[in-house]
Amino acid sequence: MKKKSKIQNPNFKILILLLFTFHCSLFTVSEAKVYIDISSPASKQLPIAIQEFSGTTGKEISEIIRNDLEFTGLFFLIDRSAQLENPSQTFNPRNWTPLGVEAVVKGSVEEGKDLTVVAILYDVLEGRELLRKEYSAEKEFIRPLSHSIANDIYKALTGETGIFRSKIAFVAEEGNGKGIFIMDWDGKKIKRTGLKGNVAISPRWSRDGTKLLFSAERNRQWGIYLLNLTIRTENKVFSSKGTNVVGDFLPDGNNFIFYSSKDGNPDLYIMNLKDNEITRLTSSYSNEVSPSVSPDGRYIAFVSDKGGSPQIYVMRIDSSDVRRITFEGSYNTSPSWSPKGDRIIFSGRRGMTNQIFLVNPDGTGLTQLTTQGNNEDPSFSPDGRYVAFSSDRDGLKGIYIMRANGESQKRITPDSIIASGPRWSPN
Amino acid sequence: MKKVFAVILMLVAGSVFFGCSQRKVVQPEAQQQQPAVSPEETKKKAPIRPEEKIAAEKITEQQLAKVETRDIEAPKYIEEKGVFEDIYFDFDRYDIRSDAKPVLEKIASWLLKNTSEKILIEGHCDERGTNEYNLALGDRRAKATKDFLIALGLSPKRIEIISYGEEKPLCTEKTEDCWQKNRRDHFVVLRETGK
Repeated sequence: MKKKSKIQNPNFKILILLLFTFHCSLFTVSEAKVYIDISSPASKQLPIAIQEFSGTTGKEISEIIRNDLEFTGLFFLIDRSAQLENPSQTFNPRNWTPLGVEAVVKGSVEEGKDLTVVAILYDVLEGRELLRKEYSAEKEFIRPLSHSIANDIYKALTGETGIFRSKIAFVAEEGNGKGIFIMDWDGKKIKRTGLKGNVAISPRWSRDGTKLLFSAERNRQWGIYLLNLTIRTENKVFSSKGTNVVGDFLPDGNNFIFYSSKDGNPDLYIMNLKDNEITRLTSSYSNEVSPSVSPDGRYIAFVSDKGGSPQIYVMRIDSSDVRRITFEGSYNTSPSWSPKGDRIIFSGRRGMTNQIFLVNPDGTGLTQLTTQGNNEDPSFSPDGRYVAFSSDRDGLKGIYIMRANGESQKRITPDSIIASGPRWSPN
Repeated sequence: MKKVFAVILMLVAGSVFFGCSQRKVVQPEAQQQQPAVSPEETKKKAPIRPEEKIAAEKITEQQLAKVETRDIEAPKYIEEKGVFEDIYFDFDRYDIRSDAKPVLEKIASWLLKNTSEKILIEGHCDERGTNEYNLALGDRRAKATKDFLIALGLSPKRIEIISYGEEKPLCTEKTEDCWQKNRRDHFVVLRETGK
């Protein structure tokens, strides 16, 4: 202690400290370089060029990557016609700095029995490779392959995990009824699960993405069914007289929340999938429906009409501390939590149409995200940056996605499908 | 006290400096000013790769082939439709309207005469609510009718209910006429199979 207290002037010491700190913070930025700070709402778009990959499927692959990155709104995609460097030329930063481009992606595709792709991401300012990676896939997996490349580029530039391999489960009309379908997040590769039943609704993912719970009416009874995507089987887990509609898996994956009118009026229940035990959460003459569990499993958002009209409420998982969180409008339904648990998204009627709104779990910060047509069943992407929902703004109902601030709304399902009730998968 | 404070400052400063000196010092702003490097130079510079190049990542995806549907049971009842007319509801409401009462009285007296029959009440909604909440509303419309029939002397055991919400519209135009047709309870006579 004595040894170290030789410098007598404290101001001098503070000056040294300040110098070191300033010095350090300056260099830390470039050391752990984050090209786009996605947590900052004011961050500018990163100018990036995705060059066409060589090989016959190169164009398709680079287009998928381009579309993925473009939808995020975080990148400014440099037009191909403006590019000075031919995709086959060696990367030269001098060709890109005049265009203001900060990152360049090049790639090549070899097509044998499988597709083998090498993708390289360059940092223009530093003139170096940021990522070089080889991928291989059977030809039918060209889209997941391209999405994986987009995920790696996204991770290298933002430090965050991309959602480009995630899926959306939804409901679509088939025959005289409705069935459960699954597609890529960009609306491609739509697959019907082929589940029989009259009407199916409300697909809900397990947090590991291997299972889906949904509700279906079969033989004049509403049941809750568990679809195991790994072993491709489906089992009835609950049915009774009345209406039974699944809400959410609890985070442990062994329990789920649902609403049922089995005891008279719609109320909330939790069922354990292992011992089939059912716990009743609410008991009232009003409707308690559409329960959604917070990501930490501690809270439930749900809809109740006990105040005279359907409104969103939040309570603890043990059904204590019930609070109403919506006060504007006379019809607020379909609540769903953001992955961080800091927002609840729902559908609220304004005038004669349903619109998508965000609200904080304490009822503050109400924000309207849509204005055209009827918009229902909002569901967050696993990173919380995007929202899937259904809309009839272009005629028949389809699935749309948008950024979580309401920007860049677009339909992702084709006009030939009448689709609703989307749920975004975990990553 | 001052001395102790000063020591802490020194320690913090020292550790910060130490931590700092370990890092690679790269200044993008400075690089921007320099003439851009030629491709040859780029090649010579050992590229800094955040990930060592390893064997190609194999990308696959689970194929969702047809799922096996279990628990398909045979229907319990033979259904007879069109015996009774539908009754209608006001927008967002599930109370029984006065124009529905004659229909319900007819159903009650028929069931009181035909004691082996049961009845299924389907509750339906127009499309303007949200799908899930409409299922609850349809449930309440069917339940209201069931309660009305019980009040007219029928046993609850002879009345089944189910909600279809907005899932089974009769009419698909976006007009009040059409919406009114959809806000209905529909009746199905049930006969047990094997009878």
